[in-house]
Amino acid sequence: MTCADETARDRALLERVTVVSNDRVAEGVGLIVLHSPRVARSVRPGQFVHLRVAEGRDFVLRRPFSVHAAHGDRLKILYQVLGVGTRALSLSGRGDEMDVIGPLGHGWEMPDTISHALLVCGGLGAAPMGMLATELAARGVAVSVAQGAPTAQRLVARELFADAARRHEIATDDGSAGHHGFVTALVEPLLAGDSPDVVYVCGPEAMQRIVAAQASAAGVPCQVSLERLMGCGIGACLSCVVSTVHGQKRACVDGPVFSADEVLWESAEIPPKH
Amino acid sequence: MNQTVNMKVRLGSLELCNPVLTASGTFAAGREYSDFIDLSTLGAVVTKGVSLHPWAGNASPRIAETASGMLNSIGLQNPGVEAFCAGDLLWLATQDVPVIVNVSGHSVEEYVAVARRLESEPTVSALEVNISCPNVDEGGMAFGTSCPAAAEVTRAVRAVTSKPLIVKLSPNVTDITEIARAVEAEGADAVSLINTLLGMAIDTRTFRPKLARAVGGLSGPAIKPVAVRMVWQVASAVQIPVVGMGGIMTADDAVEFMLAGATAVAVGTANFVDPTTTSSVAQGLEAFCRERSIQSVAELTGAVRL
Repeated sequence: MTCADETARDRALLERVTVVSNDRVAEGVGLIVLHSPRVARSVRPGQFVHLRVAEGRDFVLRRPFSVHAAHGDRLKILYQVLGVGTRALSLSGRGDEMDVIGPLGHGWEMPDTISHALLVCGGLGAAPMGMLATELAARGVAVSVAQGAPTAQRLVARELFADAARRHEIATDDGSAGHHGFVTALVEPLLAGDSPDVVYVCGPEAMQRIVAAQASAAGVPCQVSLERLMGCGIGACLSCVVSTVHGQKRACVDGPVFSADEVLWESAEIPPKH
Repeated sequence: MNQTVNMKVRLGSLELCNPVLTASGTFAAGREYSDFIDLSTLGAVVTKGVSLHPWAGNASPRIAETASGMLNSIGLQNPGVEAFCAGDLLWLATQDVPVIVNVSGHSVEEYVAVARRLESEPTVSALEVNISCPNVDEGGMAFGTSCPAAAEVTRAVRAVTSKPLIVKLSPNVTDITEIARAVEAEGADAVSLINTLLGMAIDTRTFRPKLARAVGGLSGPAIKPVAVRMVWQVASAVQIPVVGMGGIMTADDAVEFMLAGATAVAVGTANFVDPTTTSSVAQGLEAFCRERSIQSVAELTGAVRL
């Protein structure tokens, strides 16, 4: 069951936050740390925040970002500079204020029965895997990570995964680090060798779909974190719908994490970014 | 001087505690927003469009951001009137706020059937007939862009409802005042405007439209001057009250619509930006009046100095 019970849902918070630091951590990728005590203390792995990057009228919508890590009263967000919103975010610095709505969405399911988890991520799909890897490792779950990126310069969160994972395998499109090719090539050997109880996936939708099929063929439950363009982020506007075997669901409140076997994959197309 | 301001306004027989409403489709039925604001601080909740049968809505992507605004082509996804009555409406019955239900249809018969179904629901304070959605193939905007069709829908719904009847108008017409006069003549108690402006955006990397349906409705601050102009024109052309909307982000924006002739206003896209906007616009309107010793917010309606 991945559909959040409407009556039991957590209240979302609107919080004024301050930028603690904002650094470039890989090619085209930034890591912003926000002082956000209320959200940081309640966020769970796989949830996201809806960030008002800049106040003004040039662009109006918030931007949804996975929470990469939360420590004490701080939230860490990994972002790729792709458009006006993320460019504005990259220009913010220590002391700047903005507001967040969060924590939002239905995150990763982590049943107590898991003893071995395989995390598969591509590009910025590593973002929602940070808290997950840390939390699983803290619970004593054996974590294997298969991570893909276009180039070695665009690999993110390597240290976090190195700390949390027993096995961390890398694939790059150009062969500049690890396996030369797509991350999906790493998955079948890991499924066979490690016999994980669960597979967690985040990355381009085409890659998620392939990994979901690989997990299904191996008979291992799989969870995917899907990306959609969002309006409100709180379930009202119906911009971010995902087609599932249970009908249309909202990525913002019913997801972003779904059980892979309920998703009706639409196409191999990557959604446009802002 | 802590003078109180009379914030009450009337839309036909419907009295509202203040002029601030939610724009249909941006607020669902209010439940999501009740995490952030007290709904009883609003004049009314205007629900998302409700149709006779469930509608699945359009393919994704359904939204695209544009300069100072956004395009949407949600396509009136909703579970149908029966599920609405059994779900959202029951929840709204527990809330201390008037409920205006936005009624959508593919045909006159469907609008009538929804209005009939809602007639016996005491929680429904008024109907807003949506003849202006640009995102559905049949019905929707087609009824709002022709005087005879707009008149026909209004007449048919008027015949089956005793509730105050608001008709929501499309800006995608040559002369919006003709449509406003046509629905007034058929018994509409108020008109609301503007729905979104038909627009399009193309991704120059992929050469494809940013919306799966290619075209959609433009909303947000980008459309406000068009909306204020149309409210001013319509308010000058009809006797019934006008609900003004289109890009309201602040109380000052709401004042502008009222000066142009709006009796009430609705906040739409701003709900996505800041979920507390409706409440802060209502507070700001009251503060605006108090600071200027305006005793009743209704004095702002049509007070533009020409």
